[in-house]
Amino acid sequence: MIFREVEDRDLIAKARRGDVEGYNLLVSRWEKRVFNYLLRLVSNREDALDLSQEVFLKAYQNLRKLDDPGRFAAWLFRIAHNEAFSLLRRRRPDVELAGEPRPPDAVPGLLPIEMSLAVESALRRLSEDQREAVLLKVYQGFKFEEMAEILACPVSTVKSRLYTALDLLKTTLAPAILRGES
Amino acid sequence: MSCPSFDWKAYALGELALNDRREAEAHAATCSSCREELATLRLAIDALSALRDEEVPRRIAFVSDKVFEPRWWRTLFHPSFAAACVIAAAILVHAFVRPAPAPALDPVPLQARIDAAVAKAVAEESNSDVNVIEKQLRLMYARNAGIVRQ
Repeated sequence: MIFREVEDRDLIAKARRGDVEGYNLLVSRWEKRVFNYLLRLVSNREDALDLSQEVFLKAYQNLRKLDDPGRFAAWLFRIAHNEAFSLLRRRRPDVELAGEPRPPDAVPGLLPIEMSLAVESALRRLSEDQREAVLLKVYQGFKFEEMAEILACPVSTVKSRLYTALDLLKTTLAPAILRGES
Repeated sequence: MSCPSFDWKAYALGELALNDRREAEAHAATCSSCREELATLRLAIDALSALRDEEVPRRIAFVSDKVFEPRWWRTLFHPSFAAACVIAAAILVHAFVRPAPAPALDPVPLQARIDAAVAKAVAEESNSDVNVIEKQLRLMYARNAGIVRQ
């Protein structure tokens, strides 16, 4: 992670000097992570792809505003968060409201091919805020402080969202896994 | 029910400092409810990791691609473009609203013109003197001739 940060810093410096290839390399390094974060947040492949494009375009246009190149990852995910929630707000009338009671999922047991479906389903049952907290922590590996920066909220709020999400996931996923093992 | 003094979620998510981790582990070794809580949390987090990252379906456009090119109106507001426009406008204005040219200098030097004017005046004056003398002489000859005839 430290090496990656050092190399990112170097690429950012190059991109700021107008080296197009430097920024292209940054895109190559981060596109998969950004795309998957957005995909799990908006649950639509085309939307996630369009948003990813927009994120990297905005990041390029605002690269000079990045005060500390060492915090590029949090800064990039902050842009991604804003783009995703901008779309979710526009789409809100069409989607389920967060926190609304949802029908229980059909538990697929523990067939390996169905495990990811069970996880996807469990994630969809979380509110957008809770799901995002899980995505940033479990899938992207950010620290609480970085998550607070990305989400523009206190660490206590980050922990609250994440812990509530974990409690819900625990009750959804753990019994399914245990039943599958038995 | 786990013991409230231990943050097992932070532990499972790798957010505890080393000392706190050791203390939590020592406690879990002696507390079955905390062990159960930790095991359930780990199951859930491990299950989440079953969801693999997808490959990006198509390449995100690079800076060199067309999508990264600035819009035409952005180009207009670019400082270097604006400066070029101002310079071009100044050249055009200068070309069409040029001030009247200064009168061309006489190729004959001033001193030569003065000399020529003086020479001309002197010549005229000389000619004038010659004419007066000539007239007086003719008058004298005429008078003398008359006297002779008389």
